[in-house]
Amino acid sequence: MSRVSVPCHVKGTVALQVGDVRTSHGRPGVLVIDVTFPSVAPFELQEITFKNYYTAFLSIRVRQHTSMHTPAKWVTCLRDYCLMPDPHSEEGAQEYVSLFKHQSPSMTFPKWLSHPGPCEQPVPLLEGLPDPSRVSSEVQQMWALTEMIRASHTSARIGRFDVDGCYDLNLLSYT
Amino acid sequence: MLQEESDISLIIAQIVQKLKGSNLYAQLERQAWASLQRPEIKLESLKEDIKEFFKISGWEKKLQNAVYSELSVFPLPSHPAAPPEHLKEPLVYMRKAQGSWEKRILKSLNSMCTELSIPLARKRPVGEQKELLNKWNEMGTDEPDLSLFRPVYAPKDFLEVLINLRNPNYENGDSLSFRTHLGLIQVPLKVKDIPELKECFVELGLNTGQLGIDDSTQVPPELFENEHVRIGQKVLAEQDSAAAQQYIRQGSPTALRAELWALILNISSQPEDILYYEQLKTNVIQHDLLVDSLIYKDVKLTASNDDYYFVFEDYLYQVLLCFSRDTSVLNHFAYNSASPPKSYIRGKLGLEEYAVFYPPNGVIPFHGFSMYVAPLCFLYHEPSKLYQIFREMYVRFFFRLHSISSHPSGIVSLCLLFETLLQTYLPQLFYHLREIGAQPLRISFKWMVRAFSGYLATDQLLLLWDRILGYNSLEILAVLAAAVFAFRAVNLMEVTSLAAAEAVLADLSTLKVMPLLQIFLFATVT
Repeated sequence: MSRVSVPCHVKGTVALQVGDVRTSHGRPGVLVIDVTFPSVAPFELQEITFKNYYTAFLSIRVRQHTSMHTPAKWVTCLRDYCLMPDPHSEEGAQEYVSLFKHQSPSMTFPKWLSHPGPCEQPVPLLEGLPDPSRVSSEVQQMWALTEMIRASHTSARIGRFDVDGCYDLNLLSYT
Repeated sequence: MLQEESDISLIIAQIVQKLKGSNLYAQLERQAWASLQRPEIKLESLKEDIKEFFKISGWEKKLQNAVYSELSVFPLPSHPAAPPEHLKEPLVYMRKAQGSWEKRILKSLNSMCTELSIPLARKRPVGEQKELLNKWNEMGTDEPDLSLFRPVYAPKDFLEVLINLRNPNYENGDSLSFRTHLGLIQVPLKVKDIPELKECFVELGLNTGQLGIDDSTQVPPELFENEHVRIGQKVLAEQDSAAAQQYIRQGSPTALRAELWALILNISSQPEDILYYEQLKTNVIQHDLLVDSLIYKDVKLTASNDDYYFVFEDYLYQVLLCFSRDTSVLNHFAYNSASPPKSYIRGKLGLEEYAVFYPPNGVIPFHGFSMYVAPLCFLYHEPSKLYQIFREMYVRFFFRLHSISSHPSGIVSLCLLFETLLQTYLPQLFYHLREIGAQPLRISFKWMVRAFSGYLATDQLLLLWDRILGYNSLEILAVLAAAVFAFRAVNLMEVTSLAAAEAVLADLSTLKVMPLLQIFLFATVT
C-alpha cells in the first residue's frame, strides 16, 4: 500500500466575526479555511500536513455523507488542538505539523472517506491476520526512515578546502 | 503511541547515520573482529557475546558517551516536510535578518580587500612557509603592521541589528503602548521566568553544595568539598559523559576540570586527532588568509592586553589560525542559522566546481573572538587537545552568541531573558536606567556575547562555564547579567547618565558568580 498526496483545493480564509467587518476595529481571533477534494475516487485519509503561521489552536470539522438519502452532517474530528503553547510568543508559530488519523478520537476519518464503490464489498477481517491499517502505518514509518537514510550523506571527513591545490580567491560572493 | 515510536526510530536512525562516519565506528568494528579470538565468544551466541564483551571492556560506555554527545548537540529530527533551512532557524523573519547581517559582513570584508589590495587568500611562497614553520611556537613575537586592518564588526554593531529585529506578524504599533517591550529587544520569544529558572537550575539552590560557595576558606572541607571531589574522581573513573554533566552542575574541582570538560564534550585525544591538527597546521603554513590578519589584530587588541591571558598569546594563534582552516566546522551550519561565506577561485567566477567556502571553516571572526579561546588555555597545554576542546565548545555553544536565531540559548533570547528578568524583578532600577538613557542591555550585551570572558576573574569564569556545560544551555549568562545589576542596584540608582552607569559596572573582576546567581534565583523576595 503506497502513500500518495490527495489533490485538494484550499479556499481562502474567512474571518468569523460578530458584527460588521468594515466598521468594527477588533481583529478576529478565529479564521475558517475550507478544504475540498475534487477527486471523486474513494480514498483513506491517513495524514494532514501543513506549515503553521501563528495559529494557536486548530479544530477540524468534516462533512460526512452517510448514505444517499440522509443529508450530510458536520462532525468535529479535532477540537482546539494546541499548536502554540504560548500564543503570545514564537513557540510553534512557524512549525510544520502532521495530524494522523489515530489522533482523532472519534475515528470518523477513514470510515466516511473510504466509502466502498457500489461494486465493492468490504473485506472480512480474518482471524490471525494483522490489522491492515496498522501495518500500513508501520510500513509508512519504515518508508520514511529509509528515505531519510538514503537522502543523508555519510559523514566522511573531507578535509580539503582548496580546488586541486588552488585557493586563490578574489572576493566573497553575495548569492 | 505509534507517533512516539516512529519519532524514536527516526532519532535512532539519524544518530546511527552520524556515528557511522566516525572514528569510534571503525574502532568498534576492529574491536569486534579482534574479540573473535577470545574464548568466551561462541559462534552460537555471537551477537550476545560480543555485546557482553563491549560492556565489560568499556567500549559500550564509549558508545553511550558518543550517543549522548550527539543528542546534546544536534537538534531532534524535524518534520519530514521541513526543509533544511527550517532546521537552521524555524522563523522566516529571523532567517532573513541573519541573511542581511551576513551580507553586511561580506561587504565589509570585500571592501577591506579592495581598499588594502590584499587577496582573501594566497599560497605562501616556500621561503615564507619555512619562516612561519620556524616561528610557529612564538608567533606572538611577530609585529606585523596591522594598523590598516579593522575588525569586521564589534558587538555593539551586532546589538543594533538585534534591536531592529521585528516580527512582521506582531502588531506592536509605533507608539509606546502596553504591548511594546520596555527594553531594546522587540521580538516575542519565549523566555523563562524565575520560577521556571529555579526549576531548571535546581542544583544551584540554597540546600545544595556548590563549588564557588561551599569551598571557601571559612567552610570546613568535610562538609561538602571533600565528598564532592571524591565523587568527581569516581565519575572520571567511570568515564560516563552523562554523569559528568550532571556532576558539574555543582562545579568542578580545579584538579579535575580539564578531564571533566573533555569527558562531557566527548573529546579523547586519539592519534587521528593529533594528526588532524598537524594537517591543519600544514594548511596554515601553506596558505595565507586575510582572516589571519583579523585574528592577529583581535588577539593583539584583546587577549594580549589582558592581565590573565597575555601569557597565552602564542597558543591563541596556534588554535585560531588552525580553526579557520578546519572544514569539519562546516557541519555545524546544519543547525546554525548562519551560513558560511562563499567565494570562487580567481578567474572562475560563477562556476560551481570552483566554488569554495571562505574561510574554510565558514566563520569570520569579530572583535573579541579570541576571548572564547583564552580561558581554555588555563586548562589545556597540549595544542591539539586545546584545539579540540575549543572547537567543540564553539560548535556547541559559542556560535549561538553571534548569530540571529530564536533558539533559547541564542543571543536574542538571552538578551530578552536579561531584560525581562530585570524589568520583572527590579522594575524601579530598570525604569530609572531607562529614564537616564542607560538601557541596561547596552551595558550587559558585551558580557553575554563574550560569555563573560575577559570580564570576570578566571577562576570565577571557569565556575560559570562549568554550569554552561552542566546545563547544556547559555541561559545562565543572562541570569548572571541580571544578578550583577541586582548586586550593584544601590549604586546604579544614584547615577544620572549612561557613562556613570557604565562606570559602576566597568569592573566585574572582584565578583563571585555563584553567590550572585544563588541569591538572585533563590534568595530574592519576589
